[in-house]
Amino acid sequence: MLLEMINIDKSFFNVKVLNDVSLHVEKGEVHALLGENGAGKSTLMNILGGVHEKDRGTITLDHEKIEKINPKIAPQLGIAFVHQELNLFNDLRVFENIFLREEITNKFGQLDKQKMIGEVEKLFHNMGVDIDPTVMVSELDTSKKQLLEIAKALRKDAKLFILDEPTTALGNLEIENLFSIIRRLKEQGKSFIFISHKMPEIFQIADKYTVLRNGDFVGAGSISEVTPESLTRMMVGDCYDNRDIYVCRELKEPILELQNFSGKGFQDVNLTVNKGEVLSLTGLQGSGCSELMQCIFGCTKPTSGTLKINGKVVSGGIRTLMKNKVGMIASNRKENAILKDLCLLENCYVSEHTLSWKKQKINKQRELEKYNVLSKKLNIKANSCKDLIVSLSGGNQQKVMIARWLNTDAEIFLLDNPTQGIDVGAKSEIYKLIVQLSEQGKTIIMNTQEISEIQKISDRCAIFYHSRLQIVLDRKDINEETVMLYATNAHGIREGQNGKQ
Amino acid sequence: MENSKKNRPGWSSYLKWIWQNANYVLIFAVIFLVYLLINGQATNWAGITNIMRHSSVIGIVALAMGLIILIGDIDLSVGSSIALVGGFSVLIFNATGSVAITLAAGILGGAFTGLINGMLIGKVRMPAFIATLATMMMYRSISQYYLASSGVAMYKVDASSPGYDAFFKLGNGNIMTIPILTLVFLAMALMLIYINGSTKFGKTIYALGSNEKAARLAGINTEWLRVAVFVIAGALVGLAAVLFAAQNGTITPSSAGKNYELYAIAAVVIGGVSMLGGKGKIVGVIFGMLTFTIIDKIILSLGYNPLINDTIKGAILLMAILFQMFQKGGKPSR
Repeated sequence: MLLEMINIDKSFFNVKVLNDVSLHVEKGEVHALLGENGAGKSTLMNILGGVHEKDRGTITLDHEKIEKINPKIAPQLGIAFVHQELNLFNDLRVFENIFLREEITNKFGQLDKQKMIGEVEKLFHNMGVDIDPTVMVSELDTSKKQLLEIAKALRKDAKLFILDEPTTALGNLEIENLFSIIRRLKEQGKSFIFISHKMPEIFQIADKYTVLRNGDFVGAGSISEVTPESLTRMMVGDCYDNRDIYVCRELKEPILELQNFSGKGFQDVNLTVNKGEVLSLTGLQGSGCSELMQCIFGCTKPTSGTLKINGKVVSGGIRTLMKNKVGMIASNRKENAILKDLCLLENCYVSEHTLSWKKQKINKQRELEKYNVLSKKLNIKANSCKDLIVSLSGGNQQKVMIARWLNTDAEIFLLDNPTQGIDVGAKSEIYKLIVQLSEQGKTIIMNTQEISEIQKISDRCAIFYHSRLQIVLDRKDINEETVMLYATNAHGIREGQNGKQ
Repeated sequence: MENSKKNRPGWSSYLKWIWQNANYVLIFAVIFLVYLLINGQATNWAGITNIMRHSSVIGIVALAMGLIILIGDIDLSVGSSIALVGGFSVLIFNATGSVAITLAAGILGGAFTGLINGMLIGKVRMPAFIATLATMMMYRSISQYYLASSGVAMYKVDASSPGYDAFFKLGNGNIMTIPILTLVFLAMALMLIYINGSTKFGKTIYALGSNEKAARLAGINTEWLRVAVFVIAGALVGLAAVLFAAQNGTITPSSAGKNYELYAIAAVVIGGVSMLGGKGKIVGVIFGMLTFTIIDKIILSLGYNPLINDTIKGAILLMAILFQMFQKGGKPSR
């Protein structure tokens, strides 16, 4: 046994995020660590990588009990961690990033750039990666950056590699290359902990699995003994049967139309959304869904094409779109949506005020009444509307954001990754709210990469690949395999074998 | 909530509330107490109105700075604006003899210097520090250059002008023993408190200072809001410049309003406004300013060399920041 993590507990601010979790990894094994977002996978790995400290439990590596880990000790123990978020320095060159603080120098302490560049070239060649070692990291696209992050770890002589969703930004060929490297290293006796949401990948590369749910250990075993369905059921638990949130509705007239709509990050999109519909946009990171959404909301200007709302051509900035009853809940709530120094009430009315700007005096009584109605409707859990928004949990913060746009009487809701950083319980509450809104005739366009949530609530699903709309699936056709097929453009490759789908 | 019912709110809980939400009041109280102790029996109403008088012109500048810091920017040019707009309004006064026209011209002139700053920062998107550093150099220099070309050492209010008495009274008169300057300062402070607390415009100032990106995505026109805030702040500085001229009778371009930007920033910070923007109250700026003036008076009473002034003011500033940091440490950081 290479790694044993036994009975690990961890809490943040009295919220238990890991409860008695164990993980066993053998030498020369690829171990898939599974669970929904917020299940505790990243926390567990961050404990192993020394980013967080465990509250309880034991960690044994190579039969030696490890008392203390921090990000500096972890590599010395032979643990190499490829984080989900990229830890690269954009203003340094590729080889400088790889050799940062481990630079090769000559006798006089001068950097031996030629030697470093040579080593990087060799490494990239082995990985089948085509990156110029001397280029600035800022010039690389996301997939190259992810490969670079992986290369940084692979160069180290580690026993155990932790790959936290390493393939989100990679194309199929790059994934194939990565897998062949993993297989080769596995033969040399290296072990991998592989975190991924993509079932096909897991069945392709992993030997064993461990499933976490809501911070609890759910199960572990050999991949060969399970099916994708049984694994998914373990991951999502009872929620898996939660599909009945969806309410079949009759869709009304078109409310939003895109015609040959192009802009930064997306091209030539033709799409019609009906009133009262829940339409999901999906695709891999960087496929253009988020960019499209921002452009519809007027954050960026389209380069060509038209946007029609209720049959009328609309073009302009955010305020124009708001006047046309469009609201957007931006992704990355902390950065793009919440006003951290303002209270719940203020966060709730800020957008409506830009529409009723001419009447400058705030009617505090009226605002309070409106807030109370909204907070009841959305079930916002807070002590007082005067509390700072940052005192709320992610799910409640997101409800305040929904309240913000309901307050403006928006008819079309653009939700960019609305369940990001929200725990499972609050997630299903958000899903229910979305369905409720659609029943009341609001139109929802939601960008998400979680296929399970697309299945739960969408009427249709528009799939993007490399800035182009690939296909729009009807509800009955939405399933993990089909979505991934189009999102990764494997469809284009497979089409020859399987015939037209 | 339940806890507070069990323990009746006593003195300590009030103090705790002030400590957490308005520590500028505590700092002010301590400094004021020191002043009373040192001054002893010499303390009288005249001394206290004197403190108010000396806090007023720079206080209005501090209010302007408070607004700008609330949106997360800074304005280094306020002191130079005093030299430029003040000199310019002396010329207007001497030409027209009208206090009203001079006030209007000063406010408009100040708004214009603010507009320049605002356009550079809000529209061209230059960093506020650099843009106002540049205009700081320019505004004072223009004032000096123009004066040099006319061959005198300072802009001097014409004492023979028919409006002179009224102008002098504006800068030095009292209404019911309270300096007119102080009444103007308080009126401006009340106006800003109203704007910040009760208007949509005021709330967007906090939104912009809190998170510019989120404010934009919430529908706020952040570019123009920034310009508007700089224009309003400029108008306040313009008003302060006219009052400065009325109080002193002259504007010496090389020294008028010198270091006002620094004192104003310090008063704003002592008043509990976060330099990162989005957090703080205009009331705090009033207390911050008074605290600063009292330190002057304390040093005067002690008979120390006034050159030690800035050392003590600096120390008080550091203390204020330390307080604020402690407070932050008390809350869980997200």
